[in-house]
Amino acid sequence: MARAEQSTTALAGEQFGFGNVERPSLARRLAAIARRNKLGAISFVLAALVLFIGAFSPFLQRYEEERQFQTANPEFNPTASPMEIARNPNLSTPFVLNRFEGVSWDHWLGTDQLGRDIYSRLVVGARLAIIIGIGASLVSVASGTATGLISGYFGGKTDFVLQRVVDGVQAFPGLVLLLLLVQVVEKPSLTLTVAVLGFLGWAASTRIMRSAVLGVSSSGYVEAARSTGATNLRLMTRHILPNVFATMIIIFSISIGLYILAEAGLSFLGLGPADQTTWGKMVNSGRNLIDTHPEESLLSGAAITFAVLVFNLAGDALRDELDPRLRGR
Amino acid sequence: MIQYIVRRLLVNVAVLWVVASLVFFATDALPGDYAIRQVSSQLEAETDYEEAIRAARKELGLDKPVWERYLLFLGDLVTLDFGTSFESDKSTWSELGQRLPTTLELGSMIVFVAFATSIPIGVISAIKQNTWIDYVLRCFAIFGVAAPVFVTALVLTFIVLRFDLWTIDIIGDPHLWSDPGGALRLYAIAAVAGGVSAGAGIMRILRSQMLEVMRNDYIRTAFAKGLNPRDVWIRHALKNAMLPVLTAMGFTIAGIVGGQIILENMYNIDGVGRYLFNRLTERDLPPFQGTVVLIASVVVTVNLCVDLTYAWLDPRIRYS
Repeated sequence: MARAEQSTTALAGEQFGFGNVERPSLARRLAAIARRNKLGAISFVLAALVLFIGAFSPFLQRYEEERQFQTANPEFNPTASPMEIARNPNLSTPFVLNRFEGVSWDHWLGTDQLGRDIYSRLVVGARLAIIIGIGASLVSVASGTATGLISGYFGGKTDFVLQRVVDGVQAFPGLVLLLLLVQVVEKPSLTLTVAVLGFLGWAASTRIMRSAVLGVSSSGYVEAARSTGATNLRLMTRHILPNVFATMIIIFSISIGLYILAEAGLSFLGLGPADQTTWGKMVNSGRNLIDTHPEESLLSGAAITFAVLVFNLAGDALRDELDPRLRGR
Repeated sequence: MIQYIVRRLLVNVAVLWVVASLVFFATDALPGDYAIRQVSSQLEAETDYEEAIRAARKELGLDKPVWERYLLFLGDLVTLDFGTSFESDKSTWSELGQRLPTTLELGSMIVFVAFATSIPIGVISAIKQNTWIDYVLRCFAIFGVAAPVFVTALVLTFIVLRFDLWTIDIIGDPHLWSDPGGALRLYAIAAVAGGVSAGAGIMRILRSQMLEVMRNDYIRTAFAKGLNPRDVWIRHALKNAMLPVLTAMGFTIAGIVGGQIILENMYNIDGVGRYLFNRLTERDLPPFQGTVVLIASVVVTVNLCVDLTYAWLDPRIRYS
């Protein structure tokens, strides 16, 4: 049991930049962590599974996600007169949609109200959730680190102004800001959605990065480097940045779940990325049928919850290992 | 202290100016405006579509240059005029006054559910650390944080409908003061879903804070001098664990005033959140901008109150 966890968490750990540590000591270290934090290890494995499904969705999804399955209409009668069609409209359509099919080998999770394969759509949704979660996290960490570094390093007026902007963004009701910014184009693209979500997270990551930078800036080695005549840019990039790297990784990993959740809310309100199949849209499209055909809504809702859950737990575990002081932020 | 409050109030004005500018320029960048909607919704065939739109813009004041409208907008805000709806020609104040009771009705139920679940659960989970009760409660909290509020609401709706527990009236407009039974049947699901979402986060913070506080010497002293364990937990531990929880609660309460956009849309509840959403999609921008600035001012005020409460809860905190 321990051995299996060890190898899988080793894989997951490498993604977060532990790869340059010597291999035997890394494996032993991860095994120790996995033994101590079983829940964290399991959630890392499950998060890796979601990542795998998202990354390989074109191979896993079996059908085109928008394909509407049809069967020949046995009642179809091309020679029916208009009067007959008026009496029985079924006569005029050569094909009927396979709506609300049950579970079968052809459709592992059945079909939705438009005859589309629910399993395929869930798999594609995983891909979108991961692109959005990871993409928005990257945007917010990168931008938040840049401004947090400037704010914390220079202090004074720069700091004051930047922090008031951060306050302003945080005083804005989050979902309202999202709804507003994704509408600046007629049809929100995936890139825009990611950028807007990242901007929303920018405020919080600036604040956290700023306090991390403040802590590092006052340490002796920064002073020492400054006394040797290092420039501001060199101090920031070579001396401070590497020492707040752990904080960057923590913000990145604990916010993935938040962005998946936020995008689900947007999609649910009909403002998700246009022309994409997301879990939030699936929940929304099935919600009016919740009492008769709840499968689509419940399955996609469960998918969102599961993905957010494992990314949250994996992020928490990583944070506890890297910097337990950030707990509760 | 007075000096601190005055300085914070001045900073808050700066923050509100940032919010006002952000909402103004972001809404200005939106494609389409109310003039286009107004003209397109008129059924009579316009002889000159472009001309009609230009006339409508002039009437709505949308033809002025951006900076002029921006200054007018800021000027209105300073005089506490939060805009007039293009659609109804009523002031934002009266439009919100009509919807705020509904939002507070749902909001207070959500806050009640959030606090009634998170505080006892957080405390029990910490006291019974690493027992099966703790595991079950933590599982509940982790799921509560991960499940989107609309999924929780849908699952609850599904259960209510499938087991025929009661019928939900989303067509009528039941309120606690006019039709308490109907209102409860409608709001109960939204309140539980919203409350669980908000409460789960609070519960996790409270638990870790309680564990932190319980490690202190004065807790051991309190137990050692033979105090009733309940008094130690509530008076000594809980009170000191509440500080970070307060911040989270501040956000929850401030969020309530902004309405619950998703829940209000799902259950056809005519509150502030749905009003905000509709104003935005209708491009009826003055009430949207005004409401956003109003909500932000509630948020910054609540945050200030939370910070002041810190001093009351923890006398070691001094403001400078």
